Amino acid sequence: MTQPGSRPRNPVAAHPVTSAAIGILFAANIFFIVYVPVYGTVTPKIGSWPFFYFYLLIFMPVTSLVLWIVTQLQKRLNGAQAGPSGSAGSEGAE
Amino acid sequence: MSHVNVTTFTIVVALFILVTGVGFGAARWRRAADMMHLDEWGLGGRAFGTFITWFLLGGDLYTAYTFIAVPALVFASGSIGFFAVAYTILVFPIVLIFLPRLWSVSRVHGYVTPADFIRGRYGSRGLALASAFTGILALMPYIALQLVGIQSVLSVMGVGVSSGNTFLQDLPLFIAFLVLAIFTYVSGLRAPAMIAFIKDTLIYLFVLVAIFYLPTRLGGWSHIFSVAQSHFAATNPDTGKPFGTFVPATGSIGATRFDFGALAVGSAVALFLYPHAITGTLAAKSRNTVKRNMIYLPTYSVLLALIALFGYMAVADPVTSADIKKAGGNSQLAVPYLFQHLFPSWFTGIAFAGIIIGALVPAAIMSIAAANLFTRNIYKEFFQPDATPHLQTRVSQWASLVVKIGALLFAVELPHTFSIDLQLLGGIWILQLAPMLIGGLFTRWFHRWALLAGWFAGMIYGTIAAYNVASPTTSHWAGSSDIVFGHTIYIGLSAVIINLVISVVLTLVLRAFKVPAGIDETLPHQYTADPEPAAAPVPAGAGAGAGAGDLPAPSPD
Repeated sequence: MTQPGSRPRNPVAAHPVTSAAIGILFAANIFFIVYVPVYGTVTPKIGSWPFFYFYLLIFMPVTSLVLWIVTQLQKRLNGAQAGPSGSAGSEGAE
Repeated sequence: MSHVNVTTFTIVVALFILVTGVGFGAARWRRAADMMHLDEWGLGGRAFGTFITWFLLGGDLYTAYTFIAVPALVFASGSIGFFAVAYTILVFPIVLIFLPRLWSVSRVHGYVTPADFIRGRYGSRGLALASAFTGILALMPYIALQLVGIQSVLSVMGVGVSSGNTFLQDLPLFIAFLVLAIFTYVSGLRAPAMIAFIKDTLIYLFVLVAIFYLPTRLGGWSHIFSVAQSHFAATNPDTGKPFGTFVPATGSIGATRFDFGALAVGSAVALFLYPHAITGTLAAKSRNTVKRNMIYLPTYSVLLALIALFGYMAVADPVTSADIKKAGGNSQLAVPYLFQHLFPSWFTGIAFAGIIIGALVPAAIMSIAAANLFTRNIYKEFFQPDATPHLQTRVSQWASLVVKIGALLFAVELPHTFSIDLQLLGGIWILQLAPMLIGGLFTRWFHRWALLAGWFAGMIYGTIAAYNVASPTTSHWAGSSDIVFGHTIYIGLSAVIINLVISVVLTLVLRAFKVPAGIDETLPHQYTADPEPAAAPVPAGAGAGAGAGDLPAPSPD
């Protein structure tokens, strides 16, 4: 019953720009913490904090922000996917 | 050492009694009509909102052992210990990719454990058994390490250590665990969910106070960092190498940039394969609850980063360093000694209680997760296929007791290094679930037998390789931690690559020979579904009877 009658278009194909943005945000969020040479240095110091430690601390709120943007973009994708069937309306609701 | 500070002790005991009361009272919290259902006992009614889930998952993932072991590693080896910070940042983008899918399909089909999903996806009891076995195996030493965390706090408090009698020595631990075992039995997942509020309040309180207060006692941040920098650059007379690294190095001394990154990736992927993390997730009310928590949970990583810095504060505080040296160089005592030395005794009591209670929350969730695996994927699957929800819950309750007793024996009878080695092995083992679990969430291409063969190869290779590495350096954890730690993760990664390659190759072969692939009871749209809490009763085989306890049970049969 919950299955939409007609198969909706693939949301990724329907929204290439949004999808690409999501992909890039994910990739960047992962890359800039995995690739240690970006931040594995003592200098420049921020106040008395070596760069390495400051970067790790700052990266967490940044991650939260990036993931928030990603979920907002995903909502758009899924909103399109739900179409008129309304079965996925709960995704955006609440 | 044997001197017990009365103020500290009294505060710890008072807070422990408070937690005990809450643990038992939790059984009445959001009470359902029929509590004897695994959705109730094992998943708290599958109805936790964003707020409660945040506390539950935070209390679940950031364990007391983390709070002891991460600063211990930082104290002993420097920057490599901060891999834990990088990994708890990294985990959320990675998990956001696959965890909402697992939540959705589990809600639609009423899956209680990750092995339930494997069973439904591949139609394979054997594969489900393999994953359940792996989960239980990986959880046991993890629970034991929570007890090790409690022990290190108790020993700094001077409780029990004055006695030569091993039983008396561990008596406080026995009491703490007995209480934990009973309230978990009675209240199920509701108990750790409620206690997590107290735990987090205490931990946020002491960490925030410590992070502003302690630097003023230790000459400020620049002094702490510069002492640490020169300490780790100095040569350790025992090994002829530097003590550690202050930032991940480019050389090859076991703490390079590559080690750092590899440890972070391996640990991040492993974290949400652990059954207790999945239990915490499946208890969430909606798909959005899960997603929102991936956004909010990094706040705990800030906390972890600050806690990791306690390791440097211990380096910068000569008294703490001397105390640790006196205790045989056991760096696990870094945080307890640091607090005991620099805080007034009443505040030390709050901090210690926070760590002890912080051990109870994950220990309870882990034992529930292991018990659910046993009940659903071993007992019900192989011994009592027609077990009623009531019987399943009863079995889970008893299994949670058995698991905890096992973990207690681990912690008390075996040397701690053994628990730590096993927990590192647990990381390798649990990673071997990645192809079947994460892979299965996105594709049904893999063949069940290929996955089983890949899993088996990964387990065997990982265990043997880890054994060969660990044996020459088992003497003690602190001196060799970075090396062993690093190697086990590489082993985990290489084992999972072997696992994946075998799974792919055998899948091609099995598909070529048209070997039956098993029945997939899931449908594509179910991986993005977000059903209402009450609309979960699904006739599907593995997950029958879900949601019966919730609200005005729709029961369409």
